[in-house]
Amino acid sequence: MLNFFSPTLALLFQEAERSRLGEMIYQTRTAAANPDLSKFLVIGALLFIIGVAGVLTRRNIIVIFMSIELILNAANLNFIAFSRYLSQTGSPNALAGQIFAVFVIVVAAAEAAIGLGIVIALYRNKETIWVDEIDLLKW
Amino acid sequence: MQKYIWLVPLLPLIGAAINGLLGRKLRFSERLIGGIAVGSVALAFLISLTAVYSYGNAGWPKPYLTSQDGFSFSWIPGGAVSINQGGEARQQVDVQKQVEERLAAMTPEERSQTQSMLVATTETPRYSLLNIEWSYQLDPLSSIFMLIVTGVGLCIFIFATGYMHGETGFYRFFAYMGLFMFAMLVLVMGSNFLMMFVGWEGVGLCSYLLIGYYFDRQEAANASRKAFITNRVGDFGFALAIFGVIATFGSAQYTEVFEQAKSFPIEMLGHWGILSWIALGLFIGACGKSAQLPLHVWLPDAMAGPTPVSALIHAATMVTAGLYMVTRTNVIFQHSQTMLLVVALVGAATAIFAATIGITQNDIKKVLAYSTVSQLGFMFMACGVGAFAIGIFHVMTHAFFKALMFLGAGSVIHGMHHEQDMRRMGGLKKYMPYTYWTFMAGWLAICGIIPFSGFWSKDEILWKSAETTHIPLGWLVWLIGTIAATCTAFYMTRLMAMTFWGKERFLEGAGGEADEAHASAYDKGLAAHDAVQPSAGDRPRHEPGEHVGPVHEDAAHHAATHGHGDGHHGAHIPHESPPSMWVPLAVLALLAVIGGFVGIGPAFRTITGSEHPGGYLNIVTWLNPIIWNPATREFNTAEGAHEAAPAEGAHAEATAAAEGAHGAAAIYGDTGFNLAHSVENSTHSELATEWIFIVISLVVAGIGILLGMLFYVWRPELPNIWAQRLRPLYNASYNKYWVDEFYGLTVTRRTMDAARGVYRFDSKVVDGIVNGLAWLSRQVSRIVGGVDKYFVDGLVNTVAAFIARLMSPLFRAAQTGFTQNYALVMVLGLMVAVAAFYGKDIAIAVASAVRNITGTVF
Repeated sequence: MLNFFSPTLALLFQEAERSRLGEMIYQTRTAAANPDLSKFLVIGALLFIIGVAGVLTRRNIIVIFMSIELILNAANLNFIAFSRYLSQTGSPNALAGQIFAVFVIVVAAAEAAIGLGIVIALYRNKETIWVDEIDLLKW
Repeated sequence: MQKYIWLVPLLPLIGAAINGLLGRKLRFSERLIGGIAVGSVALAFLISLTAVYSYGNAGWPKPYLTSQDGFSFSWIPGGAVSINQGGEARQQVDVQKQVEERLAAMTPEERSQTQSMLVATTETPRYSLLNIEWSYQLDPLSSIFMLIVTGVGLCIFIFATGYMHGETGFYRFFAYMGLFMFAMLVLVMGSNFLMMFVGWEGVGLCSYLLIGYYFDRQEAANASRKAFITNRVGDFGFALAIFGVIATFGSAQYTEVFEQAKSFPIEMLGHWGILSWIALGLFIGACGKSAQLPLHVWLPDAMAGPTPVSALIHAATMVTAGLYMVTRTNVIFQHSQTMLLVVALVGAATAIFAATIGITQNDIKKVLAYSTVSQLGFMFMACGVGAFAIGIFHVMTHAFFKALMFLGAGSVIHGMHHEQDMRRMGGLKKYMPYTYWTFMAGWLAICGIIPFSGFWSKDEILWKSAETTHIPLGWLVWLIGTIAATCTAFYMTRLMAMTFWGKERFLEGAGGEADEAHASAYDKGLAAHDAVQPSAGDRPRHEPGEHVGPVHEDAAHHAATHGHGDGHHGAHIPHESPPSMWVPLAVLALLAVIGGFVGIGPAFRTITGSEHPGGYLNIVTWLNPIIWNPATREFNTAEGAHEAAPAEGAHAEATAAAEGAHGAAAIYGDTGFNLAHSVENSTHSELATEWIFIVISLVVAGIGILLGMLFYVWRPELPNIWAQRLRPLYNASYNKYWVDEFYGLTVTRRTMDAARGVYRFDSKVVDGIVNGLAWLSRQVSRIVGGVDKYFVDGLVNTVAAFIARLMSPLFRAAQTGFTQNYALVMVLGLMVAVAAFYGKDIAIAVASAVRNITGTVF
């Protein structure tokens, strides 16, 4: 998981270590080639954070579901961004990200189906969709 | 044949082992058991006979040890022992030798100069290598005992096969008897003191077992214990004496001990040297085993055993072990004048004491038992006055006639259906002719009628007492012995009269006192062994209508003899015993008649032509080599050199002793009034003096017999009249001088008291201490338990509870059960992990991003 982040962080870090002259050369070279990967990443990160916050704070289970979808989509966004970035650098594995994103969407659909089934079953038993009223895990 | 004598003790042991170990398991028949027992003893007898024969031809007079032919093994390898006793005496011997040797080698001038060298050197401890071996010794003394033990034993074994017929413990009886034979033969054939002790204890054990043969009877059980315990007293003395011997001579082997002892100085009257102490210990042992005063009490009670046991153990062999021992150690005894006097006086006192008791007893075996004690007293008298060979001679003749009479009594008891009370007998002559005539021979022998065997030995004893120069008071010993001989003749005549002559009393009850005592003893199941409660037979505890005894099982024999319609106890017609019983009687009767001819005394030298006729077959000559001669300070030589006349007249010391028996006078000092010498001084003839004493002893025997006839045959009313007139004396004799009561009061009760005291001490104090300690530990453990339970556990529980109460809300609070909380924790954890690993990178990245954003683009 942590290794998954490291290319991103290394990229950020790499940019930060540039000398002013080198930085300028780098920026002029990558500005044409790189359509600003960091902005996608920031957007993805924001989406992820919003999703996590939603999962942690919302009491309505449906909303939590929706927040999970946000998280998944944040991940998808990253996949797509890196895919695009890698295709521009000529990597032979550039399409992997897009395929991954499709997988995620499929899994998310299945997950939504199962999850909503659970929600319905839960509602039938408990007559509620508020998670703070469901504390069966308590000791 | 001599080298096979180790088989002699072994054979009876093998027989006993077969009978004892297999007899019951394999259900041996009586015939087989008897065959094994009698066969083993007969074989032992044959071997002894041939061995003694060849010893007489070849070895005599030197002792033959089986170790010469390789039969011996190191029994107790003792190692070095320090000889720390008898140093003073030994030193005297050494110094004396030194003086003689040196003085002989010196010129007169030197002699005076070197006087100082002859001063005694300081005593240095001596050491010896003690090795006690197991080997047998064949010498004049042990050969006689071997023949008596196996020969008389064989007769008694044969008798016992008839007498014990039908007994339940038949195999047991013969196993014990065989074991006894083994122990007795080890006793007399052993070559050292330790082997004698082993045999000594072995015969004691067998005596115990056989007295208690009818162990279901209280009387027999008590008697066996009494015998064993009384013997322990004697054995203690014997054991101390053996220690003394080893500490003094550094060896237990007879030959070595006596070789050293013979040169020790003689300890005069009143001087208690080491040899006197050893002799005292030995004599205490002899007193116990041979039933001398004051340890005689067990022998009369021992009559509770079967009659063959009484004959073999308590008349012929075991009780003479004391005599064997005293004679064997005559070197030591002759070195102590004090102990010789003690032996003689104890013997004389026992002789008269037991003889007077014998007069009033009514149990036939009791009379014979007291007679045995009395005769043993005679034998000790002989030893005490220095006539050891004569003592052994009397042992031999006594073994013949007393075994005969005991077996005769057994035959009578058998024929009378286990009736022992003479008051219920009478007139048996008609019914039991074989028993009667053989008993007659024994009677004449013990009374001392010439030429029956008892005469030769008893007369010699009295003569030796009168003429002894070993001890003072010989005349007193003679006087007591003569009176005892009169009593002997009297009570034996009484026994004959009451049993075989006169009115037939067995069909009527004895009546009066006897029947009452009989009945009360019978009812109470008490010991019926003493005269107050006359015996009700060997086994009194049977139902009145029940037939007991060997004969009753033999139905055919029974029916042929007489009917048993009445079934009343004691009211049977007596019958003669089977041949297995009267044939041994006949053999013994023959020996009792002619047995005395091996020891015809010097008084008959005008007839026989020799002082001790028969060459070395004369018992005195035969025994001479083991008798130490105080005059020459050596053992007698083979050439007829008995104490009267040493052969080597040229020798200086021998000449001093050449005046016959008077020679000892110089050695033992002035012994005061001497009866024989006084008579001799008036008759001026030794021969005449001897004959005077022979006539006296015959006359007193005749007086005793005539008195007995008068009282019990011619005037049967006299006994009661005289019993009334001499009531105190009669009671004293009848109650055996209350010795048993005295011992009961002073010893038995006190011992019991002490035992109870010790028990009380044990149960109260020792157990109290133990129990108290246990109680204390229980209390301590209770306290410790309380501390553990309430304090330690409490502390632990308190701390645990405190911690649990304190901490549990915190942990419990974390478990909300809400999924979101857990998810939050996961996220927080993820963030912490990321921060921990990448915190610095993130911070830099954020900073550079901010700088990029603010500084460059946008």
